[in-house]
Amino acid sequence: MTFGAFALEKEMEIVSAQELRPPRPRLRRSIRPWLPALALGAGALVWEAVARWSGLPPFILPAPSAVAARYARALADGSLPRHALITLGEVLSGLTLGLLAATVLGYGLAKSHSLERALAPYIVASQSVPIVAIAPLLVIWFGPGRLSKVLICALIVFFPILVNTVVGVRSVPRELYDLMRTLRASRRQIFLKLEAPAAMPVLLGGLKIGATLSVIGAVVGEFVGADQGLGFLIKVGDGLFDTALVFVAVITLIGMALLLYGAVALLERRLLAWRAPEEAR
Amino acid sequence: MKTFAMWRLIVPAAAAWLAACAGTPAPTEHIRLPMGYIPNVQYAPFYVAIESGFFQEAGIELEFDYSFETDGVKLVGAEELPFSLVSGEQVLLARAQGLPVVYVMAWWQDYPVAVAAPADSGIQTPQDLAGRRIGIPGLFGASYVGYRALLHAAGLPENAATLDSIGFNQVEALAAGREEAVVVYANNEPLQLEARGVPVNLIRVADYVQLASNGLLSNEATLRERPELVRDMVQAILRGVAQAIADPQAAFEICKKYVEGLGALPPEEQDLQRAVLAASIEFWRSDRPGYSDPAAWENMHALLLEMGLLADPLDIQQAFTNDYLP
Repeated sequence: MTFGAFALEKEMEIVSAQELRPPRPRLRRSIRPWLPALALGAGALVWEAVARWSGLPPFILPAPSAVAARYARALADGSLPRHALITLGEVLSGLTLGLLAATVLGYGLAKSHSLERALAPYIVASQSVPIVAIAPLLVIWFGPGRLSKVLICALIVFFPILVNTVVGVRSVPRELYDLMRTLRASRRQIFLKLEAPAAMPVLLGGLKIGATLSVIGAVVGEFVGADQGLGFLIKVGDGLFDTALVFVAVITLIGMALLLYGAVALLERRLLAWRAPEEAR
Repeated sequence: MKTFAMWRLIVPAAAAWLAACAGTPAPTEHIRLPMGYIPNVQYAPFYVAIESGFFQEAGIELEFDYSFETDGVKLVGAEELPFSLVSGEQVLLARAQGLPVVYVMAWWQDYPVAVAAPADSGIQTPQDLAGRRIGIPGLFGASYVGYRALLHAAGLPENAATLDSIGFNQVEALAAGREEAVVVYANNEPLQLEARGVPVNLIRVADYVQLASNGLLSNEATLRERPELVRDMVQAILRGVAQAIADPQAAFEICKKYVEGLGALPPEEQDLQRAVLAASIEFWRSDRPGYSDPAAWENMHALLLEMGLLADPLDIQQAFTNDYLP
């Protein structure tokens, strides 16, 4: 076989192999960043089509175009930013409070089996009580102001963060404790250099769940008794048969939950930068 | 073949004739009725009407749906259901959003909302509300409309008092001294407060302004296509109302079958519920049962416009009718 024939044969092999290959990764990579936007756009188109041709009246299912127009109106008259900021304040306060309480108690439970055995019934019970059932009581006990909503948020985020803290602290290998003791590390050093970094990945996993749950907590509190916040806006929209306004508030809440989740993910990337890339992924 | 065809005609005809001779009731129509609240003695007329066979005689098999009031209005507006129980202001708010709903029967003759304040608080008139801290279930619905009606009657501005949105915790909030007054339903919370040792002064909205109150809602399609069904429904309910007014004790006993846990309450709590029923009955008494007073709708319309809950005036003649009363 001459070199020319060999080269031609090779070229044909390459061409046929390229034909058989799945779409080039370069193309997929270029589409990838747009996938969320494309998915959202497709969802909006389906929603618009259903709203237009299903025969459902706008007070049952408003079209996305109507919701967008209502969104613009709520932004322009300042009502949406005002209510959203109130809810965001409650969510952040509740999340901070819940995070502090859950990590402190979680660390204690992880270190002491006796404490865990003593408190386990209360902790599990606190999780099994429906938050909607105790929310009215919290409003009575702590008043209709911001405090009751913050406490409801804190309660709802408490359990997932607590469980993850316990799991995270207990996941530290015993040999590493032995190593730290061999190096004569103090309790503070063991906590800061070993336990906290080792527990951080699991703890942040719990925080991600808590961040999204805290939005639900604030809305539950605002449903029970409030005159501001996105939960209140949903009730107003429902009472006035302004279903587009209900969607506006719900979409804002979803956006808020996504932002919080994203913020925790960003925090995770920064705090866990020390991990090997494949481990951190 | 011919014989078979003949039998197909004769058998149903004979069955219908026999049924008519035997006095068998007409086939019943299943109606799901959104009530807007949980099972309660305040729905005694409906329970009485079922137990007395008024709905059955009207050819209606009634199913109670204890979902939210606004959900019921939406379902009726979307023509998914023919009827719902509703408060007057909801009708106008719904029509403003294009829901083709029509109020066909006034059940409560007076607007039941009131402001309750401790007897020694010095709050006795709407003017006394100025500068006070008042608990209200929320800044929406009948409670808020009634409260604003009282302020309007007193010539007070919207911000005359400090409002706290406390949910439906008025009894606890007033008893604990967290609020100086609370917005309540005149037939319910005041009795509960008194039973808990908190005697109250009551400022009733109905003493200052006549507003369209709770009644039966239908939609334009049902009125157009099934007027007999609307008449039958209205008549059955009004018969239940009349019977509950005539014999409250029997009505209360019937309620025990429908309101879970009512029969198991301790005697003093049962007495309280009897009192709630008795107070509710006072709101149902009327010389013209079911009649909607046009002036009450005019007042409601004017109030909602003033509150900014209606952006533009409505043709309120389209919102209610007395054409289906017996």
